[in-house]
Amino acid sequence: MSSPLCLRCLRRSLQPLDHHAASVQRAAFSTTPALGALPPKKKGAANTKPTMRGGSSLKLTKNTRVASGRPPAPGERKALRKRVVLSNTNAIEVRHLQDLTKDLCKDVSALTEAHGKVVGLENETVDAMRALEAFKATQGWNLFRRPAVLVRKETIEMAETLHDAQSKKKTVSKVLYGSRGSGKSVLQLQAMALAQQRGWIVLHFPEAKELTIGHAAYEPVITENGTEYIQPGYTAHLLGNFARANKAVLSKLHLSQQHKLPIPIQPDITLDRFIELGANDPEIAWPIWSAMMIELTAPSKSDKGLQRPPLFVGLDGLDHIMRDSAYLDMDAKPVHAHSLTLVRDFVGLLSGSTKLPNGGMVVAAVSESNRARAPTLDYCLETNSGESKPLWDPYMPQDDRVISAFKNVPVQLINGLSKDEARGIMEYYAQSGMLRSTVTDLLVSETWTLAGNGLIGEVERGSVRMRM
Amino acid sequence: MAPGPVLRVLAFRPARQVLTASRQCAQRPFANGRQYAAATNTPNKLPTAPKGETNGPNTHQQEHVSEEAAKMAEITGGKGPDIDGQGTPVQDILKQDPEALKNAPQIVKDEMKKNSAVSAASGTKTGTRSFSTMARRLQTEVSPSASVADVDPAILSSMTLNSSETALTAGHKFPLPTLPLGPQANKDTRYDPVVQLVTNLIMREGKKATAQRNMSVILTHLRTASAPTYSRARSLLPGAPPASHLPLHPILYLTLAIDSVAPLLRIRNQRGAAGGGVALQIPVPLGLRQRRRIAFNWILDAASKRVNRGSGRDGFATRVAEEIVAVVEGRSGVWEKRAAVHRLATTARSNLTFGARRR
Repeated sequence: MSSPLCLRCLRRSLQPLDHHAASVQRAAFSTTPALGALPPKKKGAANTKPTMRGGSSLKLTKNTRVASGRPPAPGERKALRKRVVLSNTNAIEVRHLQDLTKDLCKDVSALTEAHGKVVGLENETVDAMRALEAFKATQGWNLFRRPAVLVRKETIEMAETLHDAQSKKKTVSKVLYGSRGSGKSVLQLQAMALAQQRGWIVLHFPEAKELTIGHAAYEPVITENGTEYIQPGYTAHLLGNFARANKAVLSKLHLSQQHKLPIPIQPDITLDRFIELGANDPEIAWPIWSAMMIELTAPSKSDKGLQRPPLFVGLDGLDHIMRDSAYLDMDAKPVHAHSLTLVRDFVGLLSGSTKLPNGGMVVAAVSESNRARAPTLDYCLETNSGESKPLWDPYMPQDDRVISAFKNVPVQLINGLSKDEARGIMEYYAQSGMLRSTVTDLLVSETWTLAGNGLIGEVERGSVRMRM
Repeated sequence: MAPGPVLRVLAFRPARQVLTASRQCAQRPFANGRQYAAATNTPNKLPTAPKGETNGPNTHQQEHVSEEAAKMAEITGGKGPDIDGQGTPVQDILKQDPEALKNAPQIVKDEMKKNSAVSAASGTKTGTRSFSTMARRLQTEVSPSASVADVDPAILSSMTLNSSETALTAGHKFPLPTLPLGPQANKDTRYDPVVQLVTNLIMREGKKATAQRNMSVILTHLRTASAPTYSRARSLLPGAPPASHLPLHPILYLTLAIDSVAPLLRIRNQRGAAGGGVALQIPVPLGLRQRRRIAFNWILDAASKRVNRGSGRDGFATRVAEEIVAVVEGRSGVWEKRAAVHRLATTARSNLTFGARRR
């Protein structure tokens, strides 16, 4: 069959070649006319029937696959696996459930009163968090009527820190680590919800793993640090999430500086429309990302000028970016994760080398499920926690870039809940109809102990999921 | 086997013999003043008896508990158990010893004769009571679990939990359990019986934790999927709750599905019984566990033939859960299997007399 491509200029032919009519007579590169006569029949071949088995492999009737129905489209099965369900219509709606309103977020003393209680997330917050991919499929949101979170001790501390950072216009970095199921990612989500309700701009890297495992396209760029790598497709994806989550705030901000961009941009464009341009076209995603970072980290104008809100930056799965990535450079050597420009920008914010003049907070959480091996990170966490000075194996090279990034970063160990907090969340389970027993001191104490001294993920597993 | 409650009154019973033995072990070395080889750490040196001691083993027995209590009461000035008054009655000794009976006083002889005449007239054998204690024993054990049986299976665990908690009594750190304990109070029966059975049937290659995880996926699916709509064609077990109640009682949901499609009988093929080498089909009634087992295996078969729409490790469990929903909604092919077995059993019921005919 002849190709619709023109072989001389490699362009698609505008008129489709009429190969249905002509292909029988016309051979590709031959002027010889096709033979009209049929090939002569062989003598023996006329009598032999076609055999049941063609080929040399054994074919049984059982082996034939019967294709039934439509095969799944590419990515459909994964989408089903990763689907985040935030509501269970069967669950009982908890009466008198307090909401995490704007007033409650801004008033730390009111939040302190709600300590040990469960508060529901408002629809606006839920939409923003969903856009940022902060909810995860493994977190048990699908069991309850609507998304709600427990106000724990660390939540109140986080609210105080946010209040401080906004009022004093300072940048606070924090790395959350702790056992699996201790609630690091959900605490990060709570911090984001608090920031969003306070009117901050929230930027979130939902899975650091996706940045470094080599599944996203990358290309080298020359910068002042040498060769670094941009990920155009993933950058566009992040920009899209960011624009959707912060539409209300970004639509009030305008582009204030001149940037070198590959496309003409109307001056005084609102930031959300500007970012959407990058989200729609991976080709220009990276220049738009760099321009956006400059805009967001620029100081506010004094008095009546442009006032920029504080910035919250989150990243989940810090262990994946504190090591070599799965990408290879020109010499087929592994690329360090900090040489990826997206990671470089985040690490700059985390370590404090990029300042946030309007105030802000950078929170990174270490992931304990499917954790990447990062010995230097472990060393830094132990050192910065101040509990002990760990020993380093002298025969193993240390990752200097990780060490320098962690120089002044405070780390916070997330432990289990207190028994009062555990009682609060278990009462919520019982009120939702998911825990079918009376919440007594004995039950709380038993669950708390079996859950590794109140790890919230284990409390949920012990009282809802695996309680049969 | 009937699903009768487990006849268990005490979760643990103090083993008396063991306790006394250990007490002896603990005290004997000091009583005898001996040192054992293990204690002296000289394995080559055999233990030697102290000089002048002629006692053999078991000669230094502890006193009887009541003797000890009597002595203690004497010291403290109280009133202990009466040891002297508890001698063997002379009648009992005379019963054992016919020689002594001959020389016994006449009044004793007359009394014994009268007693034996009375017992012979009433027809009671020696060592038996005229009334049965069996019924009373069963009554105390069955009644609490019978009251449990007509409550939701889903809240059984909470009931046992509540029943085990009573008021704190002085001198106890934790509240004492009320006796008799509930059917699930034993340490080995942590889960509902249906859940336990189903988990073991799901298990492959002995991976119990994976099976438990799958079980929790199934129950979570039943919790989160929308409530089933009962079909009119397939009647579930009588007394099934309204469909809207099921998602909040996932174990009841599962139990209802399994028990509703469980066959009452199976067909046993008796080889050569029909003559001419043909097997005779004989219907055999099944016990509750067997019925549930067969029903859930049918559900598993049907689930494995379903198409996996997603990917990942929860695929099979999700398909099983979907099949359970299909059973309750009357869409599942498992109902056909049950009907087929019952039809065959009905036609083969004339073979039930096979054993009797042969005799």
